[in-house]
Amino acid sequence: MKCLLIASESAEILFHWTDQEFQQNVQEKYRSSQEEGEGLPAFEDIISTLFAPIIISCGTMVYRQGDSYTSFTTENNHIYVLCQFDECLYIAVNGDGEEKEDDLRRKLYVMRKITEVMFGMVTLSGSLLRKELRPQDTEQRVRLWKHLQSLLDTYNYLRENDQSFLVEAVERLIHPTLCEQCIEFLERRLVQQINSSSQVERAGEEVLHTFILVHTKLLAFYSSRTASTLNTSDLLTLIIMAQNMYPSNVELDEPSPEVQDAESTSGSGPESFYTPEPSPSSRDSSSSAEQPARGSTPVFEFVDPDIQMAEDSLHTLEISPPDPSTPRRVFLELKDGQLPMVPHSMYCLPLWPGITLVLLTKVPNIQLTRSVYSFLEDFTKLEKCLNEGQAGSGAARGQLNMHNTRSKLDKFIRDLGPNELQCVQLLNVWTEFKNRAFTRGGSGFNKDLIPLCKSMKTQLCSLYRQRFLTESGSADGPRCLSPALQERAQTMVQEKLMDWKDFLLVKSKRNITMVSYLEEFPGLVHFIWVDRSSGQIIAPSLSITERTTSELGKGPVAHYIKSKVWGLVRTTRQYLRKGYSTVTLRDGDFYFCYFLWFENENGYRLEAGDIPILPDDSLPIGMLGYDYYRKLLRYYGKNHQGEAVKCYELLTVHLGVIPTEIILQHCRQLASKLWEPSRNPLL
Amino acid sequence: MAELTLPDSRRCQYFFLYDGSKVRGEGDPTRQGICYFYPEETPSDKQDLLCSQLAGVGRCVSELSSSRVSTLRLRRCKFAIRMKDDFFWALGCSVDTPTVSVCELLDQLIDLFCFYNGPVRTSYEVNSQETLAARWTCFLSHLLPGHSPLTYIFSCLRTMDSTNVDPLLLLKAALILQACQRCPLVLAGCILFKGRVVSTQLSPELTMKVMVHESETYNKAQRTNGTSPPGSFGCAVSSTGVFLTPPELQHLQSPPVNKDSSSHSTPQKDAPPKRTRLSRTLSDTPSSESEPSDPSSSHSPLKLSFSPHLSELDSVFSPAPTQSGSPTCSPPPPPPPPSSQRRNSHEAQEESLDESCYYSFHDSAGGDSQGESFAFKANPRLNGGDGSEFDFSGPSANKTMSGDNEVCCRSTKGHMTEVKRLTPPPQTFGSNEKSSLIPMTLYLHRVNSLVLVLLVEPHFFSDTASKEEVYHSSLASLNGLEAHLRTISPAAPEPPGQYLFAHYDCIQNTLATNVSGRAVGAPEHPFVRATSLLHSHFCGTETLQEAIIRSAGTAVYGTRSVAQETFFQQLGGPPRNSGIPNHQDSAFSLPSKARHRLLKHGVNLL
Repeated sequence: MKCLLIASESAEILFHWTDQEFQQNVQEKYRSSQEEGEGLPAFEDIISTLFAPIIISCGTMVYRQGDSYTSFTTENNHIYVLCQFDECLYIAVNGDGEEKEDDLRRKLYVMRKITEVMFGMVTLSGSLLRKELRPQDTEQRVRLWKHLQSLLDTYNYLRENDQSFLVEAVERLIHPTLCEQCIEFLERRLVQQINSSSQVERAGEEVLHTFILVHTKLLAFYSSRTASTLNTSDLLTLIIMAQNMYPSNVELDEPSPEVQDAESTSGSGPESFYTPEPSPSSRDSSSSAEQPARGSTPVFEFVDPDIQMAEDSLHTLEISPPDPSTPRRVFLELKDGQLPMVPHSMYCLPLWPGITLVLLTKVPNIQLTRSVYSFLEDFTKLEKCLNEGQAGSGAARGQLNMHNTRSKLDKFIRDLGPNELQCVQLLNVWTEFKNRAFTRGGSGFNKDLIPLCKSMKTQLCSLYRQRFLTESGSADGPRCLSPALQERAQTMVQEKLMDWKDFLLVKSKRNITMVSYLEEFPGLVHFIWVDRSSGQIIAPSLSITERTTSELGKGPVAHYIKSKVWGLVRTTRQYLRKGYSTVTLRDGDFYFCYFLWFENENGYRLEAGDIPILPDDSLPIGMLGYDYYRKLLRYYGKNHQGEAVKCYELLTVHLGVIPTEIILQHCRQLASKLWEPSRNPLL
Repeated sequence: MAELTLPDSRRCQYFFLYDGSKVRGEGDPTRQGICYFYPEETPSDKQDLLCSQLAGVGRCVSELSSSRVSTLRLRRCKFAIRMKDDFFWALGCSVDTPTVSVCELLDQLIDLFCFYNGPVRTSYEVNSQETLAARWTCFLSHLLPGHSPLTYIFSCLRTMDSTNVDPLLLLKAALILQACQRCPLVLAGCILFKGRVVSTQLSPELTMKVMVHESETYNKAQRTNGTSPPGSFGCAVSSTGVFLTPPELQHLQSPPVNKDSSSHSTPQKDAPPKRTRLSRTLSDTPSSESEPSDPSSSHSPLKLSFSPHLSELDSVFSPAPTQSGSPTCSPPPPPPPPSSQRRNSHEAQEESLDESCYYSFHDSAGGDSQGESFAFKANPRLNGGDGSEFDFSGPSANKTMSGDNEVCCRSTKGHMTEVKRLTPPPQTFGSNEKSSLIPMTLYLHRVNSLVLVLLVEPHFFSDTASKEEVYHSSLASLNGLEAHLRTISPAAPEPPGQYLFAHYDCIQNTLATNVSGRAVGAPEHPFVRATSLLHSHFCGTETLQEAIIRSAGTAVYGTRSVAQETFFQQLGGPPRNSGIPNHQDSAFSLPSKARHRLLKHGVNLL
């Protein structure tokens, strides 16, 4: 019983995602209220009808009460969470008890993050985002919604099963030698070779970042010297996207003993065993997971193929998969948030099932982003000024700014070249704006200018959209690294990692084993250590699948401990939200500890500072949908100017019979033990 | 990321009752459906907006989920919602109040209304909207006390500080109640002193409801008599009609002591001679030293009385064992035809509110001494003469309804309390509330600040013999008890202590704390905030036993068992810490400190 939907202010459904149960439930509801003999309308219409009163009431409350709904709960424990992002209302519903309110809010923020990464600054304009999320063309809409729905599925699966998505930090494979070799290889061989190939072959693009993923874990990450750092939020989103394209099937890719035997004896054969043939047909199938036809392969444990197939009537439409060599356009943040949503191209090259090479390239004309963004900011500021009715000094100041903006924008439009339709429209609106605002006969800076401000913003966004989102931007087909170049990159890395791939696949399941800690820390059941400054997690593996046995064994005990760990993370977030950075809990047979602390770069412990107290329904605590820890570090860093502040978290699960003093001693020792490996910078 | 503290002193922001059946058509104004809105000075367009939007969204969500909405949150206010028939209740509190507490508060409010007015639909048919609005206001003001910020977290009964009162007085009070119960028409009762519970036989929820009427009549009496204490008014008896839910009635009709733990033979041997003491004045009460050594005395650890001494004494003193031998059981009184009864009780209640029902057995000149003599005269009849009547049909003789049922009921009470917090009590919102509420009458006997409140059968007041008997048998003892309680000096206010604590008893619904009701922002504020969080967490996680939470400036320890929750904070500023795990950290010594320090408050955490 899960549902997520995005609605516009006019109660139009811009996107929806529901599970089978919710869909059936809603259809029942509708059928019972319908007269006999009438056919059931499209699911989208049903959901729109049923949710319309909520959406409209939400708008009324914002407009008349200046307050908005954040959540509803019912007596049978259904939870509804609502978030307003700009002009869109996001609603998430859960009726099966698997998600709590915080999870639902997190999901909404992740959905928002995904749209930002996919549509960039277009999300800043409500009307454009509406068109983008709900294309007129049915086939296009079906394809887009399927893609978004499967991204959400992937995220849901990862959050429920992967510790790094539970705490929202990146996990690395702990194998220093191999990591180092790979980074060196990426730098000296791969990136250098691609970036030094001919302009035509790489279509003016330049590789900025590249990384190798083994399932969701990072084997190696290399950023070119000119690139600015990739933040954790973006990296986690990219991992979701890569996982969505090439889902790692936990059940299937565990090499069975026979296969391992065969490999160890034959020696030369195995490379063809996992390597997808480079013919287009097989590549289509390997990328089909990205497309809705995923039902045919049981990707996740919880997906019943029949249900998946029946899930949506939209399945009936045939969708042609896009060319796999076409990169995804992603919009990433640069310079620690100062320049958001800069377009990049993302190439996901599968090496073997479960192992993926990702290239992030800079696209040409990137400076346009900077200009558009600064103009958008100017107009937003002006609109805010006008809205608050600051006629006097505020508007005067705004005017000053606007004179500066005026000359810059004039130059900007001149440089664009006036031939394109988009530019003509922009120029028209700008001319009208100038006539109103700056000429004597115009109305000057008052509230009448607000609609023009809005349409200037829309025009700017739509220029940005046309330049970076529509593939028809250039006449000579999509611009990207040539397929040959991509193939070369893929082969190079495959050759490099050939001898390691089986090791890597196993290692990713047993990255850190609890058994190596047991002697030193008797009674310790599990721990999670997170470096929030770099967004890295270190934790013993907790993967529980049917075929493989984790250290906790399988069956109820393992599942119980896993659910306890997941619950603990949820609980400690609630306390952190209220300003508590240390929590210890005696719960059943276990003793849980949570610590958050700050250090400077040399590992010197800084005094605990006050942590902001936030309302329950505020943004989720994490790094993916919203980077809470970056804000926290900035907030704390205010009192530590000139020092690089680091933030760490430690969660432990002990057996309850261990005396508390020993447990606390363990925590302290663990913290200092784990501190060392993290000194290797992630990026 | 600025710190969000709410300076709002009025934590309850809105309360309203909306009747959807009055707004059916498109053109019907929302106004028609609003039965009550608090605060009443809210502009009417805002009232309309909140009622229509919340009720509309509530209905829509209920339809989508096939279940009633229970909470609805806005960014600045959180609402507990109850929906029943076409009625829609909403109670809006500030967002930092725990959700469980808001829901509990609303349930209490509705229960309270039904207790005094009967089913909501019928009371709105019978009474004018203004009359009922005044009642809602009254109930609301009772449930939203401002004396301690903790009362918003724990809805609890105010009791006498048992560490400050001679346990014998508590025993005395319990005995008075038991003596009254010997009249077959008396179900159970409680004794209150200055708005605090001295002794009660009722469940905490019922005691809370009963107290509301007591303080209302007390306030009115004070108003009519100017500022003079009601001593000049003399001993007054009043009554009002009330309504019980079937579980409440069943609970009352089960015997007051745990049958499993009281043996049948020994008390019968011991009881007769001691029973003569039932109505004696305090000076004659046997000394407490001798009783615990009595080998035949047995324990009933979860009794609804407050002093630990009582549990032992009561089982000896209680008339229940003697009656338990008798096979006759009076069946629960057949519920009279609802319509006529309802009207009667409504009349009765309105009369009592108008004070026209206040009748006094004696002049104000009657005084204490006269009361004493009456009591002595009454004694022989109570204990000997009419014994048969009491012995065979006492209210506690309903053996059929008790036994295992009762035992199990009590032992699981702790869990039930938890469950109840998460889901609204089913009895209030049962499918046939209308027919299931059973009319009863409340009997109040006031002696200055002391009040004896009894739940009696509706025909108690027409039965002059029983009425007089109860009156006379209790009068002297009440006077004596009042005189003693009056002399107790209020506990010396604790010096600004080394620590703060709150000890909540989930079974008895009582709270012991040294947190005073000072302005928000006082040093207690962090403690209250932590307690509120921990309480919510305890409510939501059954397996959680103890927790320590620490921010930069405060560390609070919380622990709970099935029956109680305890919260403790050491004051005096813990040394600044780095937040890094450190076993020498003072925060982790809180459990042992709490164990040590709270012993003198009668809180045993071992």
